[in-house]
Amino acid sequence: MKKILYVVSLLVIASMILTACGSAATEAPAATEAPAATEAPAATEAPAATEAASSEPADPNSLPRNETLYFNGQQWGSVVGWNPYSTSNNNGMAIAQQDNARVLMFETPYAYNMLDGQVYPLLADGPYTWNDAHTELSFGINPAAHWSDGTPVTADDVAYTWATHVKYNTPTGAANTAYIEDIVASDGTVVIKAKLNDDGTAVNPLVVQAYVSTNYVIQKAWTQTLEERTGGDATALLADTAEDVVFSGPYSKYFADDSKVVLIRDDNYWGQDASMFGKLPIPRYLAHTIFKDNAAGTTALTAGEVDVSQQFNSNVNLLWEQDGLPISTYLPDAPYQIGASLPTAFYNLKSPGLDQVAVRKAIAIAVDYPTIIANAMTDQSATFDQAPRSLMNPTAGEQALYDHAAVADLQWAGNDIEGAKKLLDDAGIVDTNGDGWREYNGQDLHYVATCPNGWSDWQAAIEVVAAAGKEIGIDITTNYPEWAVYQTVVTASDQPLPEGYDIFMMWSDGAGPTQPWSRVRHLISSEYVGMAGNWNGNWGQYSNADADALIAAIPGMTDEAEIKSAYTDLVKMYLTDVPSFTLMYRPQSFHTVNESVWTNFPYDGDGTNPPVPPMDLMDGWGVAGLYNLELVNP
Amino acid sequence: MKHTLQQIFRSPNFVVGFSIFAVIILTVLIYPMLIPDPPLKIIAQGTFFEPGIYVNTYDTFSAPAYTLKLEGADSKRIASKLNDEDRLAMQKWLVGFGIPENEIDIQNTEALLDLWNTNFDPSKRFQGMTNADRNYYIRLNNSVQGLLSTAPAIIAATDETTGGLVETDRVQQSDYINVSQVSNVRILPLGTDNFGRDVLTELVAATRVSLMIGFVAGFVATLIGLVLGLVSGYVGGWVDDGIMFITNIFTVIPSFVLLILISFSIGQDKRGAFTIATVIGFTSWVWTARAVRSQVISLRNRDHVNLSKLSGHSIFYIIVNDILPYIASYVVMAFILQISSGILAEAGLSILGLGPRTTEVPTLGLMMNWAMIYQAHILGKWWAYFPVIITIALIAFSMNLMNTGMDQVFNPALRD
Amino acid sequence: MKGYLRYFFNKLAWFFVTLIFAFILNFTLPRLMPGDPVAAIVSRLAQGMSDASGVQAIYQQYTELFGTNKPIIEQFFIYMKNVFRGDFGFSIAQYPRTVADVIKSSIWWTIALQFPAIIVGWILGNMLGALAAYVRGGFDRIIMPISIFLSNLPAFGMAIIMMVVFAVWLKWFPTSGGYGFDLIPNFSWKFIWSVIIHYQLPFWSIVLITIGGQAIGMRSMSIYELNADYVKYSRFMGIKDSKIISYVFRNAMLPQITGLALSIGTMVGGALVAEIIFSYPGLGSTILTAVLGQDYPLISAVTLIITIMLLTANFVLEIVYGVLDPRIKSTQAD
Repeated sequence: MKKILYVVSLLVIASMILTACGSAATEAPAATEAPAATEAPAATEAPAATEAASSEPADPNSLPRNETLYFNGQQWGSVVGWNPYSTSNNNGMAIAQQDNARVLMFETPYAYNMLDGQVYPLLADGPYTWNDAHTELSFGINPAAHWSDGTPVTADDVAYTWATHVKYNTPTGAANTAYIEDIVASDGTVVIKAKLNDDGTAVNPLVVQAYVSTNYVIQKAWTQTLEERTGGDATALLADTAEDVVFSGPYSKYFADDSKVVLIRDDNYWGQDASMFGKLPIPRYLAHTIFKDNAAGTTALTAGEVDVSQQFNSNVNLLWEQDGLPISTYLPDAPYQIGASLPTAFYNLKSPGLDQVAVRKAIAIAVDYPTIIANAMTDQSATFDQAPRSLMNPTAGEQALYDHAAVADLQWAGNDIEGAKKLLDDAGIVDTNGDGWREYNGQDLHYVATCPNGWSDWQAAIEVVAAAGKEIGIDITTNYPEWAVYQTVVTASDQPLPEGYDIFMMWSDGAGPTQPWSRVRHLISSEYVGMAGNWNGNWGQYSNADADALIAAIPGMTDEAEIKSAYTDLVKMYLTDVPSFTLMYRPQSFHTVNESVWTNFPYDGDGTNPPVPPMDLMDGWGVAGLYNLELVNP
Repeated sequence: MKHTLQQIFRSPNFVVGFSIFAVIILTVLIYPMLIPDPPLKIIAQGTFFEPGIYVNTYDTFSAPAYTLKLEGADSKRIASKLNDEDRLAMQKWLVGFGIPENEIDIQNTEALLDLWNTNFDPSKRFQGMTNADRNYYIRLNNSVQGLLSTAPAIIAATDETTGGLVETDRVQQSDYINVSQVSNVRILPLGTDNFGRDVLTELVAATRVSLMIGFVAGFVATLIGLVLGLVSGYVGGWVDDGIMFITNIFTVIPSFVLLILISFSIGQDKRGAFTIATVIGFTSWVWTARAVRSQVISLRNRDHVNLSKLSGHSIFYIIVNDILPYIASYVVMAFILQISSGILAEAGLSILGLGPRTTEVPTLGLMMNWAMIYQAHILGKWWAYFPVIITIALIAFSMNLMNTGMDQVFNPALRD
Repeated sequence: MKGYLRYFFNKLAWFFVTLIFAFILNFTLPRLMPGDPVAAIVSRLAQGMSDASGVQAIYQQYTELFGTNKPIIEQFFIYMKNVFRGDFGFSIAQYPRTVADVIKSSIWWTIALQFPAIIVGWILGNMLGALAAYVRGGFDRIIMPISIFLSNLPAFGMAIIMMVVFAVWLKWFPTSGGYGFDLIPNFSWKFIWSVIIHYQLPFWSIVLITIGGQAIGMRSMSIYELNADYVKYSRFMGIKDSKIISYVFRNAMLPQITGLALSIGTMVGGALVAEIIFSYPGLGSTILTAVLGQDYPLISAVTLIITIMLLTANFVLEIVYGVLDPRIKSTQAD
């Protein structure tokens, strides 16, 4: 109790002093923040700071505008840590091990390019090779590659990283042990051994292949330091903030607080070797101001305080058409961005009536998609005329994977009220008691369409779905629970979905090395039926044995025609059974740039080869864009 | 009573406040009769249509055409697609391309376009030219194509048998229609919002709902505050201690935090407008309770109360007959203030995304919240948020003016 | 003196009883919210994980860590024990950051913004109110409606209008942040100047709203006092006008001071809006994100701090009043 009183009196005294100062207190934040600030960069970044000073005697406390590239939309809230083993660093600038891995500070062996679907060597030396049995994947490490402490990156590091993931059952380990038997280093070569089926074939070669472009290589020596520090305890290892981490990428921590995160270039970065990029990335600093919401981020973008925006900027085209700002997106006209994922409305297939294909399809074809795309996405989505619905995203590579003509009869453009009514009438689902709503088995068709509260574009989309229901005699109301509640309900696939979750929105996979296979699997595979903590997909509990068989077979297929026919069959099933339906397309990352200071950002048809994807210059092969930047006024 | 009312209506503050309030109430009541559209109906495909008169283009073709020979029509048409800034930009491009600046007459549209059309190449890039510039030039190039043409626009329909186009009409550049003869014209005095809803219709409906929320919140708060304050002040002793204890706890846990917590816990699915109103009322009774208590304490030893006690009247009787009338004017004023703060609280909650559920009824706070989410203030779409702020301020303003006016009447010491 | 001591100890006892109950409520209320915060962490951890048992294992691990698998009574005692040791535990949503760390980095911004804003608003408001009461006439007729109108603008409305006008159109002030987007905090004039510049819009948006309310209150109180008998008597006695005025306004101030002390409670609510609109660092948005992320330990700690500040302010006020104003004691004793 005394302690509390002590604290209290201190607080009161402090506040008194502050109030006494009156206007002088304006300086208070500076005074209180200063010690922490001087401490942080100095302690962790001493070598980097001296380096910067040697090449240019600049003020270490301000970031020269023409050496700094500013971002928004990557970092929300303050950074928690720099630990590449953990997934809860909340560190949007440095750490994201995903299909398009963020390779600014840590690097993957290969970088995925969503535009052409290829991977390009990053830490690896040349393309990887499969053995003849397709059970072992091997690649070398670029001899030029070295860590920030100067030691070379070796195959041993890759193997040890994997061993650590497995030993401490990290998310990466847990996600891959079903597919990867082991990763070993032999004679400087990395060999990834796939888990095998009883018949000796790999369980899933696609996932094995994806490992090399989604997961970081972490230094063995540093990992051992970390293990020593945390005493072999998995929780402690994952909770370590790793301020001392050794990295291989071109940037590392310079400064982080509640207001911003700054990365600084490592001028000894190995990638300046001729075998890689041949030079250093252009900006010396990468900075990200932490905004409280999208609106604040957009305001900064329009003010020229942000160069690269990974944010949903509503009506982005007005920024140049109406306000004449030097802002542009990857595509000059609508949809402005390359769509990669498919925000999807799932049906709860156990709701009465929704077990009927006719009802599911009727709702889906009655929905006014152009309004969703125009109003909810402010035209930042490809329309379904441009990319007809399927299980594929609108990129050319995926679109080519199925036979459009074969499923043309099953397509719908939306807004087809008459067609939907006819479908229901033909199925005998009509309004017999004259209350305006159709009945099935004597029950009025009444559904609740839902998505998380505050997810504005989804909410706006769900509104349009509800409106479509009313047009065809199905009463659909909307409901927006908080995300904290929503996620626990939707992912509990071991329990039946409760009332209020008849039609609900969730995401699908975007672009990545296992796509579209992984997206298809997540949308319709029955392996997620009844799964507790189902963060994968098929939340509506659809099951189709034929689809399952095809999904299981595709990763092992090598013949392109065979793959195409398999995907076409899957699309056919999907459009016939309508277990869920896509409402719009959404880009992998929003990519909007302000060219007040920097220019030569990637854009459609910029002539780069291989094409630099619009991944905000940080994800996958998108990082190559950092080497092409130029100042508008050098 | 009549006398008091007369007095109240003689106070200029009250009269001004009351007039504003009356206008708001009347608008809320009459507007829906004139324009009965459902306020949440999505009418626009697209966001934030500007305020103005929308004329159906298709219907203009069938409306009778009039020929008007007006001066300057051509130059207006050209200026709308090629303004002075565009001309300067063209000049800049052409100079960059290598044409001497003195050969470019940017006021001579024909010469400028000639020069432009012969030289423009979208793939050319000069020093300091950004991709945004490049896109701009491409857009500009597209918009000036056929700018000087004087040929009529041709309207064609698809022939159902052949699938080809058949000319049905020609629109001359000097053709006019009379707006009153077009069958479909829609006036959107405040444009549309991000959902494509008519802002004015929505605003009127939202004002109605917000007033009701304020009323319910004010009623709940005043009722709780009044009852607790009366009991606490009159009964005293441990009852007083107990009630004051609860009041203190509600004072030290900030009501706004409590409001956020409760709203979040209720969950959006159960957050109807009235639930929100009740919650607001439940978290804001503290001041009324304190104020009523202190008034009652000063009243309870007055002679007429003591007389009543001696006559053996029950506590309830005394409170109703000997205490309430003396604090009634105060309670009414507190009620008015609670209404206006209830409206503000709803708006504050909604702006944080914790307001009533979106789809059933519009509220002023929700309109504000969505306008902010879709960044109306950054895009300069003032009609989506500014009228909302003003409406909230006007409601609260009118109520406070009325309150001040009443204050002057009931407290003679405050009079001039 | 004996009476005062009794009064003092009575108040002190209430202080602690209220504190204990508020402490219990601060612990309990956030934990009554529906939903499962640990599931949110797991969702973050389990991105791309297709192995159900792996997800389960992580889930177990974290419920263990945060103790959410224990009965709530047990959680309460563990929490109490830790808080007495000054340990508020880990933040759930920002794990592995500690609650103390999260609060430490945001609380100074809020205090530095809110205290001066409330004080300046209070002083300006009271001066205006007193002036209006004293001068009357045209000045009063203009000041009053403006004050009422300003105090009735919703806080976010004021903030947005100020941002659109002064930051977006006129570009006099920056649009967001606590300091320049191109600076690293340090102790230099450049940085301090940047902080001051960024401070203006959030500061004035709070001050303007505070002024109105204070001016109205002060004006009424002053008029009330000006019409009081003692003023007439003093005038009659020929005491100098300036002397009378100083008495009048001192008396009128007393209730206003109470209001000032208790407006600390509205601090967080007021801060929230300004912080969100101007992306200003601080406690208000910390608590909002904590609620949305169901970060129990963080919510409890922040509300506890506010509660203690309010309770203390209240207590100090009562004690001081007890000394100054004998009437209060007598009503209490009554």
